[in-house]
Amino acid sequence: MSWAAHQFEVYAVQAHLPKKMRGKVSFWGIFLGDFTPDFLSKFWVYGITINGRHYGAEVPHKWHRGWPGMGVTHTLFLGALLAGAFWLWKRNRAFTVGYLLGYAAHALTDVNDSVGTILLFPFSALNWSVQTWAYAATIEGGKYLDAAAYYSSLGLMMDLFWLAVVLVSWRVLTRDYWRTQIVPADARVWAWFARFLPERGLLALYRATFFYGVCRMISWSVWAHLIEHYPYDLSWTGPFWIGARSLPHVNPWIVAPVTLALLGATYWVVSKLWEPMGRAEKRRARPASPAAG
Amino acid sequence: MVLSPAVPEPEPDAPDLDFRGSRRLAGKEEWFWYLAAAVSYITLSIWHKFLLNWFVGPFWLVAVVIVGPAIWDRLRGWGRRR
Repeated sequence: MSWAAHQFEVYAVQAHLPKKMRGKVSFWGIFLGDFTPDFLSKFWVYGITINGRHYGAEVPHKWHRGWPGMGVTHTLFLGALLAGAFWLWKRNRAFTVGYLLGYAAHALTDVNDSVGTILLFPFSALNWSVQTWAYAATIEGGKYLDAAAYYSSLGLMMDLFWLAVVLVSWRVLTRDYWRTQIVPADARVWAWFARFLPERGLLALYRATFFYGVCRMISWSVWAHLIEHYPYDLSWTGPFWIGARSLPHVNPWIVAPVTLALLGATYWVVSKLWEPMGRAEKRRARPASPAAG
Repeated sequence: MVLSPAVPEPEPDAPDLDFRGSRRLAGKEEWFWYLAAAVSYITLSIWHKFLLNWFVGPFWLVAVVIVGPAIWDRLRGWGRRR
């Protein structure tokens, strides 16, 4: 699984929207889309222990990414289904498109660990994984060992890569960008928050996911390497000191090109639907014209 | 002819206020409060991992950025009055 990468990719998606969508896609849509896959599945991966008894998934990686299991939460299929349902309910283009792009970013980023995602579900239940680093969530090790393994492996590079993407697009974090691009696309949501928060709080709320990503990356890295002294291993499917979990999967060599093609296809579909969705949204928002005569 | 009332010139040292009358942060002061939030959050969360989650992290930043400058302004005002 990816850690802070999921926080950074929210801003990366926001910063790299197609030109015609800039300032018109909901930031909260992207955020919730990116948040949903793990929100639906991760609570049971580590589980909880009460009075010495563990409650949680028996095979965490299968629960999280497999089928049968909650692996369906990490598929473009469910992302499209939820975005479609929201569209039918609210006819809100800004949120629907943002949600789908955020969801796709999460599902596609997670092909990098050794378990990957069931990318082509429901057509295939095989996992798609590049196996860049070891998926390390286990009942015994829990979150701590998972974090130590991730931040000792190429997973750390993944976080740094997405951080670099955001920093190269640093304007996405500025007050001007927030005022001109973020607020207009989500005016009602920000107006609601403005009932409780001053402007500096609203801006902090917008930057908070980035802040959390940076802090958790530093905090877990410091803990894993300066306090617990876990060794780094930046080899493929590392670190060597943990057994990488895996599920039946396709040939890893085809995963990266197919993932990039699916990412391109997602943007292509969204781009093609953009204008028709805008027209449908306007039709719904337009008040009924008075009867002639 | 109807004339609109004269708009007073903003005072050079007047704080930049938002729609709620709260001060906006800018420049070095903004960096200071964000860094203060990051350093305090990272330091505490290294030792108390339960703080590292989607709710506490964002809440921490928003709280520090709102409450920190407000306390600082109060202390400064209190100092001037003495």
